[in-house]
Amino acid sequence: MRPSAVSGIIFANSRDEAVGRMTNFRSMASLPFGGRYRIIDFCLSNLVNAGITNVGIITKANYRSLMDHIESGAFWDLDRKRGGVHLLPPFNISGARRYHGYVEALYGAMDFLNRCNSEYIVLCDGCVVANADIASAVDFHINKNADITVVYRTGEKVRKAKNMMAMTIDNDDRLVSVSFPSEISSDELSSLGILIFKRDLLIELVNNAYENGGRNIDVDIIADRVNDLKIYGFRHNGFSAIMTDMKAYTDANMSLLNKDVRTDLFNPKRRIMTKNRDDMPTRYGTRADVKNSFVADGCVIDGEVSGSILFRGVTVKKGAVIKNSIIMQDCIIGENAVLNDVICDKSVTVSNNTMIKGTFDSALYIEKNQEL
Amino acid sequence: MVRKKCVAMLLAGGQGSRLGVLTAKIAKPAVPYGGKYRIIDFPLSNCINSGIDTVGILTQYKPLELNDYIGSGKAWDLDRLSGGVHILPPYQGQKGGDWYKGTANAIYQNIEFIERYDPEYVLILSGDHIYKMDYSKMINQHVKTEAACTIAVLEVPFDEASRFGIMNTNPDGSIYEFEEKPKNPKSNLASMGIYVFSWDKLKKYLMQDENNADSSNDFGKNIIPEMLNSGEKLQVYRFADYWKDVGTIDSLWEANLDLLNPRIDLNLSDPNWRIYSRAGQFAPQYISDEAVVENSLITDGCEVYGNLDYSILFENVTVEPGAQVDYSLVMPGAVIKKGAKVRYSIIAENAVVGENAEVGVLPETVSPDEFGISVVGDNINIGAGAKVGPKEMITEDVKEGAEI
Repeated sequence: MRPSAVSGIIFANSRDEAVGRMTNFRSMASLPFGGRYRIIDFCLSNLVNAGITNVGIITKANYRSLMDHIESGAFWDLDRKRGGVHLLPPFNISGARRYHGYVEALYGAMDFLNRCNSEYIVLCDGCVVANADIASAVDFHINKNADITVVYRTGEKVRKAKNMMAMTIDNDDRLVSVSFPSEISSDELSSLGILIFKRDLLIELVNNAYENGGRNIDVDIIADRVNDLKIYGFRHNGFSAIMTDMKAYTDANMSLLNKDVRTDLFNPKRRIMTKNRDDMPTRYGTRADVKNSFVADGCVIDGEVSGSILFRGVTVKKGAVIKNSIIMQDCIIGENAVLNDVICDKSVTVSNNTMIKGTFDSALYIEKNQEL
Repeated sequence: MVRKKCVAMLLAGGQGSRLGVLTAKIAKPAVPYGGKYRIIDFPLSNCINSGIDTVGILTQYKPLELNDYIGSGKAWDLDRLSGGVHILPPYQGQKGGDWYKGTANAIYQNIEFIERYDPEYVLILSGDHIYKMDYSKMINQHVKTEAACTIAVLEVPFDEASRFGIMNTNPDGSIYEFEEKPKNPKSNLASMGIYVFSWDKLKKYLMQDENNADSSNDFGKNIIPEMLNSGEKLQVYRFADYWKDVGTIDSLWEANLDLLNPRIDLNLSDPNWRIYSRAGQFAPQYISDEAVVENSLITDGCEVYGNLDYSILFENVTVEPGAQVDYSLVMPGAVIKKGAKVRYSIIAENAVVGENAEVGVLPETVSPDEFGISVVGDNINIGAGAKVGPKEMITEDVKEGAEI
C-alpha cells in the first residue's frame, strides 16, 4: 500500500465533559495517562504503527496543551514533507462558533479531506486507550470491500455509555443493527471509536448529514444507513479503555498494574510513542519502599508508594506514604504526607505532614498547580 | 556558509580497548551510561548547552552503532540548517587517503570541514569522560588571556598525578611545561583532554606536524610540546566540578554508581544543564509487590520483581522474582532470571543471567587481590546455576552449572 493511501483523523475533544475538572484547561486527547503518556499518544501511535503518516487532529477548545505536546510531530515520526501531522482548529463555517458533533467537525475539516488524496480515512476518538491493530482493520475493510468498518470490542461493561454505539453483526461480520443504550453489558459489542471509511463516501455522507442538520456520525450516518450501506465490524481483542467518566479514567490507569495489560498495551512490535522529556532515570533512595507501582523516569522517591501510578519528575520525600493514587508529572509530595485514593494533576505540591484521602470508588481530584 | 565563532571537534574514533568486551562491537563513546545515556551524550549536551551548535564527530573504530545513535543530531537539538552535527570518518581523496593516524591527524584531515565555518576558535573534545562543563566560560577565558591554546585541567591528588598528563604552570596560569605521566610530578594539574585553540594557530601547527615524518600526530605528544617550544602562549583553564574518565571497567562502574552518591552533584535532568540522550520509547517501569528496591536508579521499560541495592537498571531490563542485584550495572534489555545473584558486576546489553546463576562476588568474601568487577558481554547467556567469579570478563556463553 502506498503511504498516502490511508489518512487518519483524530477528534481531540471527544467526551471532554466526561472527566470533569481534568479537562478544564486541556482537551481530552491531551489528558495525561499511564505515567508518561497523553491519551492522544495511543491514537497517534496506532495510526503511525499502521503506516499512516498523514494525520489531521480536529480540535475544538483548550488545545494549547495539545499543541505543546504534539510540536512538529517528530516524536511519532510525523514531521514529514509529505503528509505528517496537521492540527485542525475550529474553522469558521457558520459564524464564529465551535462545532457541535463530529459531522460539523468533519465538515469544517473538509479542506483536509479534499486535499489528502487518500482512498481511505480512519477516524479515531481521542478518548480511547488501546493498542489497536489498525493495519489489519484497514486490510479487513479493503477485503470486504466495505463502505464503513467499525472497530468494536466486547467483554467490557460500561456504566455511563452516553453516545456509545452498541451493535449486532451477522456471521459475515456485517452490521445488522445498532443501538445507543444507557449502559453496555459485557456480552454486547460496542464501538471502540475507530471507524474506517472510503474517503469519497465519507465526504458525501458528511455533506448530506450536515445539510440535513445531522450532528453525530454514529447516530446520523451509521444508524441511519445500517441497512443500505455495507458496514462491517472488526473486532479488537486486546485491552481497551474509553474515558467515559472519572472512574473509568482511574480504573484504566490502575489496570496498568496488571502485567497482561502492560504486555498488550505496550506491545514492542507496535510501540506507543510519546514526547520525550529527557528526564534522568528514577532514583530510589535508602528509605524508598515501592510496591506494585508503575513509575515513570525522572522521579526521586524516598518514601512509600504502593498500588499507584507516578508520572515523570515526581518527588516523594521521606516518610511520605502514597497508596492507590495517580500522581501526575512534577508533583512534590512532602515529608510524612499521606495520600490515599488521590489524583494529583500536574505540579501539585503537598506540604509536609498533610493527609489527603479519597475513596476507592471516587478518587479525590486535586487540580493542577495547587499547593496543599 | 554562515560563520561560526567556534566549531567543536569530537574525537570519537578510539577503540577503548581497556573496556574489553564492552567495546568489542561499539566505539567507546557509544558505551551505555547512567541508565539511558551513552558517554557521547555528555560532550554533545555540553556543546549545545554552551551555545556551540556545530560539532564534527571524528569516527574510525566500529562506527555503525555510533552513527545510528547520532542520526540527524535531533536528540541534542543539533539538527541545524547551518552547522549541526556531522559525522567525519576517514576518506579517500584524489591522491588516496589514510586512516586517522593520531588525534592531530584526524583534525588535519578535516581542515576543509572546519574552514567552511571560518571559525575563530576550535574546541577539541573526546568521548571518554562524564562531566558537565560550560565550554563558553573556557572560550571566554581563552579570548581574554589571548592564548594560542587553552587546556582544561583538574586538580588531582598528587599520588595519582603520575597517571595523567600534567601541566606545569606559572602563577598566572600560563603553561611552561607539559609532562605525560611524570614519575615525579611537579604539579597536580591534570589535562582533561579538552582544548580550545585559536584556529589560525592550530592550523599552522597541524600543517607543520603533518610534514614531520617522525611525528605520531598526537595533540598531547606533538602539537602541545611543539607550541610550547615555539614560545606560544598556552594557558590552563581550571575546572573543579565532577569529571571522570571512563576508560577502564573499574572507572566506568564507579562513574555509574557515582549517580547514587548523594554527596556528588551529578543531576542529569537539571533544567539549566540537561544531559540529552536518544532514549527509546518504553513504558514506565513496574515495581512489583515482592520487589525490594533501595538506593538504585531504574529506567523506563524495566520490570522489577526481585531485589535491588546500589544498582542501575538501564532501559528495558527484567529482574525476576527472588533475584538479587547488588552494586551492579544492568544494561539495556538484559534479563536477570529467578533466584540469580549479580554482585559488583556489569551485565551488558541483552545478556541473560540464568536461574540461580551467580555473577561476581561481594568484596568481603575474597582477598583484595582476587576481587574485581565482573563483566558479562552483550547477548551472552549465563546458564542456570552457573557461577562466574570476581574480575571475570565473559565473552562466550556459559553452560548450565559451569564455574568460571
